Amino acid sequence: MSLDLNRVLRGRVWKFGDSIETDAINPYYRYPTMEELKLHTMEAYRPEFPQEVRPVDSLVAGRNFGCGSSRPGLVLREVGIAAIVAESVARLFLRNSIDRAIPIFIAPGITGIVNDGETLEVDYPHGIACNGGTGASVPLRKFPPLIEEIFSAGGLPEYAYERYIRETAGRNASRR
Amino acid sequence: MAQTIAEKLFSLHNLAGRPVHAGDMLEARIDGAMVHYHANEPMHDLALQAGFKDGLPRVWDRERVFVLVDHHQPTLSQKQADENALIRREVERLGIQCFHDSEPGIAHQMMADYGLMRPGELVVGNDSHTISYGALNVGGLGITRADMLYVLLFGELWFQVPQSIKVTLNGRPRNYPVAKDIILYLAGRYGDDFAGSMSIEYGGTLVPRLSIDSRMCLSAHGVEVGAKLAVFPCDDATRSFIRARTDKAYEPLAADTDARYEREIVLDVDAMPFVVAKPHQFGNVAPVAEAAGRRIHQAIIGSCANGRFEDVEIAARLLKGRKVAKGVRFIVSPASQHVYLACLKAGLIETLVEAGAQVATPGCGVCQPKVGFLSDGEVCITATTRNFKGRKGSMQADIYLAGPLTVAAAALAGEIVDPKEVFDVA
Repeated sequence: MSLDLNRVLRGRVWKFGDSIETDAINPYYRYPTMEELKLHTMEAYRPEFPQEVRPVDSLVAGRNFGCGSSRPGLVLREVGIAAIVAESVARLFLRNSIDRAIPIFIAPGITGIVNDGETLEVDYPHGIACNGGTGASVPLRKFPPLIEEIFSAGGLPEYAYERYIRETAGRNASRR
Repeated sequence: MAQTIAEKLFSLHNLAGRPVHAGDMLEARIDGAMVHYHANEPMHDLALQAGFKDGLPRVWDRERVFVLVDHHQPTLSQKQADENALIRREVERLGIQCFHDSEPGIAHQMMADYGLMRPGELVVGNDSHTISYGALNVGGLGITRADMLYVLLFGELWFQVPQSIKVTLNGRPRNYPVAKDIILYLAGRYGDDFAGSMSIEYGGTLVPRLSIDSRMCLSAHGVEVGAKLAVFPCDDATRSFIRARTDKAYEPLAADTDARYEREIVLDVDAMPFVVAKPHQFGNVAPVAEAAGRRIHQAIIGSCANGRFEDVEIAARLLKGRKVAKGVRFIVSPASQHVYLACLKAGLIETLVEAGAQVATPGCGVCQPKVGFLSDGEVCITATTRNFKGRKGSMQADIYLAGPLTVAAAALAGEIVDPKEVFDVA
């Protein structure tokens, strides 16, 4: 699924603290199927989250979001989270989110401008995250061009497929 | 311009062929790819999703891909068995040469046991603890399953060159493995992401006297403090470890003397107390005295952090002629069959079983809710990698992380104790 970074995202905020681990986001060991995961994601911190999260909600977190294992956070998209904005993101969780075209943004100061239940606007083209009620905003980090390309391809496997087809088509043509 | 180890690693592997520095993006050439139990995803599921109708069409180099099915060995469910069967079919179809799916053990330890990596190489793995290869001066980088699909196809991957942080460990050698206390202490003092996305370079007077086992513990735990790399210098201990396992040539990595570090931390290991990480985060660290007296139900030694010979050896040394406290489940899981055999030959397993310990099959199970679950209200002290809530089953259980001596001491006492009370620490 291609991710259009130019679209402004607007949603109700679920706010979490620092160092939220992949065991809480994706408790795969306990719940090995996506259907089960959807009923248990983030319950270690907010037991009501799986039941009450709604499509196009946003997730705001403190530093080191997604620390721990190399497991991805696909379940957050599955339950409707349209954007993740954190003070900082653990490197493997960031890679995973880029690789699977999950909208994730790093915005130092984000936890200071928005509270749980408030509305957050994420405007990547203008590089800001903004509280829809108060108007307070913080800058978002822009991604390097290669990462923007991976997002728009719909993720790294899709990007890899495009490259493979391009290169093998060229090779077949030159053989002829 | 002077370079850190990370800058040298990525400069040497930069497909564009020019030197790179902290902050630069690059596409890197990969020397080795370790794929573990989720191999079915990059080789099959994700490939189909991306558009490859028959699964991954090729691997870039059949001799540089190592498939080690660790977490699901032996299998604990039909689902795991089905995944493993799929992996076997895909490995055969793709012609991958190195495949271990009938031998239990932790993939990272097996990579070392079988000499599948050498100093100076850039080796990726779809597991966060791939960073442990830095103990052998290898550029070990954890990547994702989707990254792995890209690596398997092209032998390349994008990276951003990390900033570096120098961690200097000064002190005298000990009569017990001290690595876990060091990394827990650092996480407690500087935060559980103090090395976030950075490269740790270890040095200091203690390092030449640190065993490879201890270095692997420190490097594995790089990820618990957020690091991208956690690298030790290549010294006599490294060279002799590598020589015993592979005769392929290699070029070690060393930083230039005037390389630029974002931060430098100097730790006087001799002044450091025994510590534990309290529930439920790695950085929630306190001197062991603060948790002393807490009754325990389970104690564990194992994992890619503490399942090595010296971790098992200290437990056997402490428990020789003694008994595990009544009612405590003390589980020891050697990291691999090689480690298990070495422990057997040294008589450690006999000593531990006589003392009342349980020995679990080598592998990742003891570090996850797979082997040794906890019930509500139970307390576990463990020399494994993580203590997140629910990591061992119940969400109402408490998990303390500690070094292998502290864990064995608790197993003996039936409660968390300062190891000095039961062991002549020197």
